[in-house]
Amino acid sequence: MNTSGQQNNTSLLEVRGLSLSFHKQTQAAVDRVSFNIRAGNILGLVGASGAGKSSIARAIMRLVKVDSGAVLFNGEDILRMNSQQLMATRQRIQLVFQDPSASLSPRRTVEQTLLEPMKHFVIGDTRFQQEKIRETLHTVGLDHDVLQRYPHQFSSGQQQRIAIARALVTSPDLLIADEAVSSLDVSIQAQILQLIQTLQKEHGIAFLFISHDLAVIRQIGDDIAVMFRGQLLEQSPADLFFSQPAHPYSKTLLSFAGDVPPLRSPGDTWQLDRGSSKAGRSSNCVFSRHCPEKTPICEQEPAIYKIDHKNQPALGLHCVKCHLYDEARTHDN
Amino acid sequence: MSTPALKVSQLSIWFESGTDRKYAVDDISFSIDAGEATGLVGESGCGKTMTALAILGLLPASGVHVKSSGIEINGKDISSLSAAQRREILGRDIAMIFQQPGTALDPVFTLGQQISAVYRRHCGGSKEQIRQTMLGSLEAVGFSEPQEIAAAYPHQLSGGMRQLAMIAMATVCKPAVIIADEPTTSLDSSTRALILQQLERLQTLHQTAILLISHDLTIVRQSCSKVMVMYCGRLLEKTDCHSLFSHARHPYSAGLLSCIPRISDTRPSAINSIPGQVPAMADLPPGCHFAPRCPRAEPVCRQSIPPFDSENGQYVACFKPL
Amino acid sequence: MTQEKVREAETGLGRTWERLKSDHYGVGGLFVVVCFALIAICVWIGLLGQGWSEVSGNRWESASSEHWFGTNLLGQDILQRTLFGTATAFEVGLIVTVCSTILGTLMGALAGWYSHSWLDEIVLWIKGVLDSIPFYLFAAAVAFALQGNPWAMHLAMIISFWTTTARIIRGEVMRLKQREFIEAARAIGLPGFITVFRHVLPNTFHILLVQGSIVFVAAINTEVILSFLGLGIKDGVSWGLMLAESSQEVLAGHFGNFVAAGSSLFILLMGFNLLADALQDALDTRRAII
Repeated sequence: MNTSGQQNNTSLLEVRGLSLSFHKQTQAAVDRVSFNIRAGNILGLVGASGAGKSSIARAIMRLVKVDSGAVLFNGEDILRMNSQQLMATRQRIQLVFQDPSASLSPRRTVEQTLLEPMKHFVIGDTRFQQEKIRETLHTVGLDHDVLQRYPHQFSSGQQQRIAIARALVTSPDLLIADEAVSSLDVSIQAQILQLIQTLQKEHGIAFLFISHDLAVIRQIGDDIAVMFRGQLLEQSPADLFFSQPAHPYSKTLLSFAGDVPPLRSPGDTWQLDRGSSKAGRSSNCVFSRHCPEKTPICEQEPAIYKIDHKNQPALGLHCVKCHLYDEARTHDN
Repeated sequence: MSTPALKVSQLSIWFESGTDRKYAVDDISFSIDAGEATGLVGESGCGKTMTALAILGLLPASGVHVKSSGIEINGKDISSLSAAQRREILGRDIAMIFQQPGTALDPVFTLGQQISAVYRRHCGGSKEQIRQTMLGSLEAVGFSEPQEIAAAYPHQLSGGMRQLAMIAMATVCKPAVIIADEPTTSLDSSTRALILQQLERLQTLHQTAILLISHDLTIVRQSCSKVMVMYCGRLLEKTDCHSLFSHARHPYSAGLLSCIPRISDTRPSAINSIPGQVPAMADLPPGCHFAPRCPRAEPVCRQSIPPFDSENGQYVACFKPL
Repeated sequence: MTQEKVREAETGLGRTWERLKSDHYGVGGLFVVVCFALIAICVWIGLLGQGWSEVSGNRWESASSEHWFGTNLLGQDILQRTLFGTATAFEVGLIVTVCSTILGTLMGALAGWYSHSWLDEIVLWIKGVLDSIPFYLFAAAVAFALQGNPWAMHLAMIISFWTTTARIIRGEVMRLKQREFIEAARAIGLPGFITVFRHVLPNTFHILLVQGSIVFVAAINTEVILSFLGLGIKDGVSWGLMLAESSQEVLAGHFGNFVAAGSSLFILLMGFNLLADALQDALDTRRAII
């Protein structure tokens, strides 16, 4: 049984150089993103809306077309699997969406919704399936009497539990939660976060937890990955991220996400982002326009640099896409 | 003591089905002074938005019953105005900023046209005057190129910019009271800060009274001096922000505060939550609505509605406050 | 806006019925439609209207206790003919509605699910062509081509009416495709056609119900006009035929046919329209229960 695995080095999901763009835009929605999730671990993927987080989730599930890159699940590339292998893999990775009322089929009862994945993947016989639904409902904290009801009869917190239950019936190894608590009230959000924590601790399920809210991610994340305009700027173990963020964007995010976000000072040059697609991909660092620590070299796109924490070898991978951490360059100075 | 900018007295809103009454808002009263921002916090379905709509008189006429002993703006009662009279005051004396700027703005008109329309309706003036005022209002909310924004359609702007344009529209006639209903939901943290900054500007420059409705306690803490906590249609606690956040007296307020995720150097050992769930409007428990979930509940809590107990200007409706 | 979470009735049907009950016009319409439907059933099983072709009196008798609406040119009882006409109206209505709805739904679902693909283009093209043919010319052409086959009229109507349903369903399917519960189905690898039948189409039933009642009304109306033109039903009688007969009779002062067929048609269609409006309101899932 995996604990929230600092010691565990098995890579469950490894995304390598994933790129995808939407047909009308020249700017990539996801631009050469690489990260990895260890078995039984929770990776918090954070970024503003439009940063590309949801696109990655859909790319992993093969719901959108990918331009290049690989998504390795237990070593096998999902993007190149045949339909049989893909079917087997889809049982192991499940998705939970942001809006629970929209993610449940309105004219199907809870029982039908929970049975569907098992019937589709042909998992067990009828008896096994019935027991499995009851067991899963118990895990998410719901009673058996929800089975014959329709989604609209439940509150959003209960609906999200049903959506999580649907994701759990196939006994997955990895759950992708795409802003799964963002539309819930704070007390219900707390309950769902508790549930996620339980699922990790007692069932060893790994999570790709996507959110724009760092405070929420702080509650459950083991590792943090930061995205901005389609690029991954930093991946870091959680404790390290929140105490010593490396990338300037991470520092900016943390300054806004604290308990009492500071009001902008008059001298701040932060621009309102119009979000229109720029013509072509520019060659500078994607964050350079807004970066408080910008230097002339930031006209060039930085490579991804690994930061070694020699005094804390047990920590996981820490890498940053920023010239400031170019050891070759700092050595020269 | 000066007249408060907004005063709501004993407001109740209910639905009738047969002989049953289902209360969405149950006998609430509060007041906000000029230049003051008060937060109204509570979870979805607690009645916050209905309260706002009732104040503005925007609830549908059939099916919903609204009763109050008075809703006053600067001393003038607006609760029993005719439709025509109400149209006069909306936008001029009191305005609302809605949650979803995308749907609250008309997609077929430019922002300039929409803002000018509001000003023209209430204040009038020559075409040039109206245009200047409109551009001024856009500039005041922080747009460095107001002409560009005035010529743009809502879909051309990002969510944050639309919300700022909404604020410009709501404030062009400089109303005495503004109700902001979840103005920063679905905006990211940097844009949120901008919006809140605008609200503060309105308070200091124009002495506007602001009722900020939100389920997010952190923004209320930042922008408001007073806060009211609502649960299942009732106000449970009314106090100043500082007191609430340092020492909440109602068990629900305290519970809610403990649920708010915070960023800390070390990962929290446990995630706090309030057990159980919010009761449906049709199944409200007798007595204190929060009693079934309250760790301090006593038999009296289930039998009678706790009255407001006040101490140093802090009001809490609880038989066993913290 | 606050939406109520607790529903009194569990199923969609129960909810709809509750809402419908409060709309008095709608209930009135439902009552009218049910009455007429019962008459039609009685005719089909042989209890009423069997004497529609029987010559039971003198020509153009006025209303009496024996012949409530009098008799027509041939001495046939107008009341019997009116009752039989009810069955004809329902028969035409049901056949055309059911067939055109099924065809329209299938084509619309296909076009919507594969929207912007070659399949969609083909369906839209066929729709466009059919929509641009003037209907009555088309009906005449079909009747001619099928050499007086009694189903020619039904066929012409089905071929023309499916396009409206298809357009609406296509739009709905395109909209529903974006919804997260469809994404959830795709995420587990559910094949397209299963997703469409199991998850998408059930969410269009409320639209189909309203659209169905509109088509029903259109079918009956169309039959009236076709019969007037002589392209309508061949064996049997319909209100359309009766109205055609009455066009000459009225000038001579005999109103039996006109009053009987005209008022029956008016009452039934009015009832149906009121019912359809009320159904649309009752089924509107976006309305908060206030």
